[in-house]
Amino acid sequence: MANATFPFPENLWIMIPEMIIAVMAMTLLLVDLFVAKDKKYLIAYATIASCVLAIVALLNIQSADGLMTFYGYFVYDPFAVFAKILILVATVFTVILSLDFMKDEENVGEYYCLILFAVLGMMLMASSNNFITFYLGLELMALSIYVLVAYQRDVLRSTEAALKYFILGSLSSGMLLYGVTFLYGVTTSFDFNAIGQALASTNASAHIAVMLGMLFVIAGMAFKVSVAPFHMWTPDTYEGAPTPVTAFMSVAPKVAGFVVFMRVLVDAMPAIQHDYTQVLIVLAGLTIIVGNVAAIAQRNIKRMLAYSTVGHVGFVLLGLIAANQEGYTGALMYLTIYLFMNMGVFAIIILMRRDGIQGELIDDFAGLSRVRPGYALAMGLLLFSLAGIPFLAGFWAKLLVIAAVIKAGHLYLGVLAIVFSVVGSFYYLRLIKYMYFDEERVTFNFIENNGMRFSVVVCALAVVVLGLYPDPVIAICKNALVGLI
Amino acid sequence: MLEAGFFYLFAGLAVLSGAGVVLVRNTMYSVLWLIFCFFNSAGLFFLLDAEFIGIVLILIYVGAVMVLFMFVIMMLEVNREKYKEMSLQYLPAGAMIAIILLIEFIGASASGVFNTETIAAVGHLGKDVNNTVEIGKILYTQYLLGFEIAAIILLVALVGAIVLTLRTRKDAKYQNMTKQVKTRREDRVRKVRLES
Repeated sequence: MANATFPFPENLWIMIPEMIIAVMAMTLLLVDLFVAKDKKYLIAYATIASCVLAIVALLNIQSADGLMTFYGYFVYDPFAVFAKILILVATVFTVILSLDFMKDEENVGEYYCLILFAVLGMMLMASSNNFITFYLGLELMALSIYVLVAYQRDVLRSTEAALKYFILGSLSSGMLLYGVTFLYGVTTSFDFNAIGQALASTNASAHIAVMLGMLFVIAGMAFKVSVAPFHMWTPDTYEGAPTPVTAFMSVAPKVAGFVVFMRVLVDAMPAIQHDYTQVLIVLAGLTIIVGNVAAIAQRNIKRMLAYSTVGHVGFVLLGLIAANQEGYTGALMYLTIYLFMNMGVFAIIILMRRDGIQGELIDDFAGLSRVRPGYALAMGLLLFSLAGIPFLAGFWAKLLVIAAVIKAGHLYLGVLAIVFSVVGSFYYLRLIKYMYFDEERVTFNFIENNGMRFSVVVCALAVVVLGLYPDPVIAICKNALVGLI
Repeated sequence: MLEAGFFYLFAGLAVLSGAGVVLVRNTMYSVLWLIFCFFNSAGLFFLLDAEFIGIVLILIYVGAVMVLFMFVIMMLEVNREKYKEMSLQYLPAGAMIAIILLIEFIGASASGVFNTETIAAVGHLGKDVNNTVEIGKILYTQYLLGFEIAAIILLVALVGAIVLTLRTRKDAKYQNMTKQVKTRREDRVRKVRLES
């Protein structure tokens, strides 16, 4: 290896979207110094512009499927492109939601830069085909998000949330690395494909080091996408973080985490599919139960949505258990639809911050339909979709993964998912009851702007349109898997 | 022969300074002993032809980590009396860890893995290989992407630390340079007509 020559990296142009994000993040960090405090929204606009630019660049990279750069440490395939577009779209929504929410905080410019750095980390995760890029991307993302969670430094629960997230996050990184060392010890490679081949050529299932490595790697990744029993940080962190950051955390890192999860399972662990499926079945069952049952007891809507995220993550896991094209398509579809549902719901929660109340309790929503029927309708649609009521987008998401997992021969898991989906709809419907059938208890003096209105409308429309006509997006998800399986 | 001599010199001083870290009362002296210990360990690495690890040990541990330790100790107010009482409290746990480590060391050295034939250094000694150059070659070629990401992670850590600690306090007074420069004579000087 030491004698191998390394010419200048080829195909660097497939990294252009990442370069745009990295350069823009660092440039904005400097430009921010020269922007007056009441003009910080310019930084936010520049952040949105860089995300849009990156999406355009992603869509315009032609005929590069399966290409690698940096000596095979960065891969470009439709799968990565799809994930990156989801992440960037989620970021654009997040920045729009942050505009009003964060404008009174200090150091607003750095807030947007840190979001961009987190996006860079997630994009690298999506394109990683070995544990080095994966881990470094993960840490870049996690470190930026720890800071974002603690951004309202004078709010006690924000600091507490960040500290909890940081300590547990470091622990999970440790577990992940520990698992990687086992896999490296057995296969002498960090590359997903090389690990897969090495495991296939030996009797891997019998090897205790392989099993330990697999368990620790799965545990580390499960933590990042908040799969039970590694979900403990989720409710506290979601509650304490500034609401736009919560919205961001509930979508973008989940997409990045699941994309890498799928890549590891498909590329590195096909030889031990039987073993990891058993682990995932237990995790998925537990996640669906814990998420949907624990959400019922919550009075704070951010905590409730945190448990709801845990529940939804369980459904996405079903797609990974099916481990075939249908399953992975379902998982990608689920993540796409979940993005719009969650961003819409969080936009409305941010609007509820009014007259000095946080607007995070379920009671604060009472009587919304009388005062603002439009927002109540949008919220109702989004909640129905989250609950999985037919002919809204959430229904198709659930249908695809459950159908895939039943076809793969795990009937009991499908039944469990359906039962707890019904249980879960209770707490979504309860919120609708508050909005439509209760008297208003506090006034509704919303501070609105066009950005918020735009996000709510787009998300609600997306949920309805995808619910009525999901086929094109399903086809896109299917195409995204071409390079993977 | 010369090498063995240096080995015993460095190893002996390392053990001595290690004991110094624990036995000295003043925390600041402990840190200084620890720095001395790191220098001796670095010397041991040099003897093994692992000059890169030796340099890194000095640069990072002595140059950065221990300086940070010193700052922390200077900021903390260490109460000697209380410290003395507490040290007995930790004795059982500490002794247990020490005994476990001792058993592990003895077990490892008795296992035969570390006999003279298998010492890695034996094969390498005298060969014309420069570790630093080789590590540099591979780090800036094959692992370049990881290296760059690590650089960005460090940048984020810096920005994050500053963002979370730097705040304008309401009760502190700040200098506003723009305001100072833009001040005109009329703003500050007032002509008062005194009745004579």
